[in-house]
Amino acid sequence: MSAAAMAFDGVTKQFGDFTAVDHLSFAVPEGTIFGFLGGNGAGKTTSLRMALDILTPTGGRIDVLGNPPSRESASDIGFLPEERGLYKKMSVLDTIVYFARLKRMEAGPAKQSAMALLERLELADWAKSPVEKLSKGMAQKVQVATALVNSPKLLMLDEPFSGLDPVNQKMLEDLIADAAKDGATVIFSTHVMQHAERLCDRLLMLARGKKAFDGTQDEARAALPARLELASRTAPDALPGVESAEAIGTAEDGWIKYDVRLNSGVTPEQLLEHCTTNGFGLRSFDVQTPSLHEVFIHFVGANEEIER
Amino acid sequence: MREVMLVAMREIRQVLGTKGFWFMIAAVPVALAVSGFASNQLAPERSVAYSVVDETGLYEDRITARLEYDYQASELRDLAEYVERWELQDAVPDAPWASRQSWLFPAEVERFADMGGSEAAIAALEPFREEGVPEFEPDDRSYEQIAFPDDLTLPDAGEEPDEKLIAALEGDVDVEDRELPFGAVLQIPANFGEPGAEARIFTNGRSNTGLIRVIREELSGSLQDGAFAAQGIAPDTALAIQGLQAPVSVIEPPPGAGRSVVATRSVVPIALVYLLLITAVTTGSLMLQGVVEERSNKLVESVLACIKPDALMQGKLLGLGAVGFMIIIVWAGTGMIGALYFEGFAADVLRPSLEALDDPLLIFAMLFYFVTGYIVLAMMFLAIGAVSESMQDAQSYLTPVILLIMIPVLIVMQAAISGPDQLVVKVLSWIPIYTPFAMLARLGTGVATWEIIGTMVLMVIFVWIELRLLGRLFRASLLNDGKPTWKRMVGWLKSSEAGR
Repeated sequence: MSAAAMAFDGVTKQFGDFTAVDHLSFAVPEGTIFGFLGGNGAGKTTSLRMALDILTPTGGRIDVLGNPPSRESASDIGFLPEERGLYKKMSVLDTIVYFARLKRMEAGPAKQSAMALLERLELADWAKSPVEKLSKGMAQKVQVATALVNSPKLLMLDEPFSGLDPVNQKMLEDLIADAAKDGATVIFSTHVMQHAERLCDRLLMLARGKKAFDGTQDEARAALPARLELASRTAPDALPGVESAEAIGTAEDGWIKYDVRLNSGVTPEQLLEHCTTNGFGLRSFDVQTPSLHEVFIHFVGANEEIER
Repeated sequence: MREVMLVAMREIRQVLGTKGFWFMIAAVPVALAVSGFASNQLAPERSVAYSVVDETGLYEDRITARLEYDYQASELRDLAEYVERWELQDAVPDAPWASRQSWLFPAEVERFADMGGSEAAIAALEPFREEGVPEFEPDDRSYEQIAFPDDLTLPDAGEEPDEKLIAALEGDVDVEDRELPFGAVLQIPANFGEPGAEARIFTNGRSNTGLIRVIREELSGSLQDGAFAAQGIAPDTALAIQGLQAPVSVIEPPPGAGRSVVATRSVVPIALVYLLLITAVTTGSLMLQGVVEERSNKLVESVLACIKPDALMQGKLLGLGAVGFMIIIVWAGTGMIGALYFEGFAADVLRPSLEALDDPLLIFAMLFYFVTGYIVLAMMFLAIGAVSESMQDAQSYLTPVILLIMIPVLIVMQAAISGPDQLVVKVLSWIPIYTPFAMLARLGTGVATWEIIGTMVLMVIFVWIELRLLGRLFRASLLNDGKPTWKRMVGWLKSSEAGR
């Protein structure tokens, strides 16, 4: 595994008696797109704020780009908070340049980079307009630009898709993918599984401040008991490794479709091999890949507020 | 420091981008210009023409002489001020105008008039007048006597004036190339002095109170003279009695000393008190609005990802402090240029006030109290902004805080001006939120050095503690949603880890 762009080691954050993050450990490999998944109050925002040095952990250790969290790293970080706002009277260009300057860019390059981003976001014509004249979607784009203007090595996005219409959601997905392609590590928190499913190389699932899962999407899915649909003349429930088999639909020429769940640790390939060697007649054999939503429910529980 | 400067520059640009700021900054120069223009162009003409129809022939000269005396006395006073201002005392050392005195004695006024009045004095001063020193400009006489126009007639006793007279009194008359309003006609009937007979003054409705007062006094004086005579007192004796002057001589400190210089030296520091209040409250409100916007807009988190809350706070203090300073420079600058450029009362007050600030400690102390006073007040506004969700919310904290500051400050100002040694002023000098105001108000009157140094040390300690405590409150409340409870705020003030 390559070096970690961010690593939490036994990190805890308490607010009075309330534990927002509880002994959390994980590492985000450089160059990956990393998803923080969890319902409301899972500890996603608190974790990001600690990584940004806005909050200090009660215990444990955090590394960001090889150093403890500090504003010194701000020049290599892009951050988009969950709740967004901009200075209403400031012009679009000035706003982006201001944030670039806060992230230690010089005025000239800051302006160039800001204009290039505005071109890409199709907002160049609005550069001189005050932010208050923009539509909500446009203002969201400007906010994204403030996070990207310094071409960050590490991009942290807190619920980046919330409040965006589908067109802008797609645009943001493309921007995230492009940033990753350019070598940035992207960490984003979300409770919308669709985006994570499309974008993330690795996932961290959080439940009430604790880690529920940490790994790739394949690993996450593999952790769930495998599921498949097959058509046979005999019920498959007696086959080795099958936990349950439920007939679905009606028989066709004696062939019946079954929804089959395997015991955990048993792969569909093992079952298929058993059927062929033992002459168990099959007309179809479809492996069902579990959705991320199902994976999430499996790890975190059905009570968390999430969206598919 | 770089981040602090960036925040400060943004704050400055934001304020400079508002129309309200430019209206405010232009208010004083425009007001000065308008008032200057108004006083130059629209002021009522000072001179008025009047006529006396004295059918007795007894009183006219007396009134004329009195008006001339008053004019000469006023000229002498102005001339003495001019001579002192331009340091021309040595030109004619024994001249009546060589030294300025609050009290003028008749003998001196008469000597001045006999020497040729203003015109002779101007001629005598001419060889001593250096380049840049303006020539003394004598005032016009306030009341110019003219002969009663032949085409007018006065009403008989008890009758109303005819329309022609009324119309004439509403018009102007030519007096030595000048057009003056015809202000009044005094009619003294032949039987004046007998019971029932009265002198009448017909006017154009303008209140020529000075003229009417003089006429009253002189006519009364004449009647008193008559009464003395009726009592068998010889006219010379009567005159002697009336002319009796109590032997009082007035001794004044030389120019540049005494209480007058104390008052003079207080002008600038006391002006600073008001400027401090105005700028702190104005820029403090802007700061408060800014913080409320950042909090309610949720943009503060983006900023805090890049810079520390302390840098944000310091940047705001610095930026809006600079805006406050800009306002003061423009206001005080235009005020000063206006006052010095245009000769007049303000210039006469301001010029010596600036000259009286000759002590470096005094100047340093003024600046010190001003800056620390600004920080103390501005921090309060900043902290209020940080714990408020909306401007409406901020208002509920703001009102008591402003009252807490304003009321004692206004008391201090009253007390400091009437008697700087009053206990209330001394006590308030040692209560840090009032120290800058009380000390500025007292500075001109001469404060013991130990008291200046003591209160300065106190202010440094207080500002340090305030920055720490309110800094915690600011930091902790920035990312805290909603309006914190008092209990929570006290908790933040106590904890150095607040908001971390």
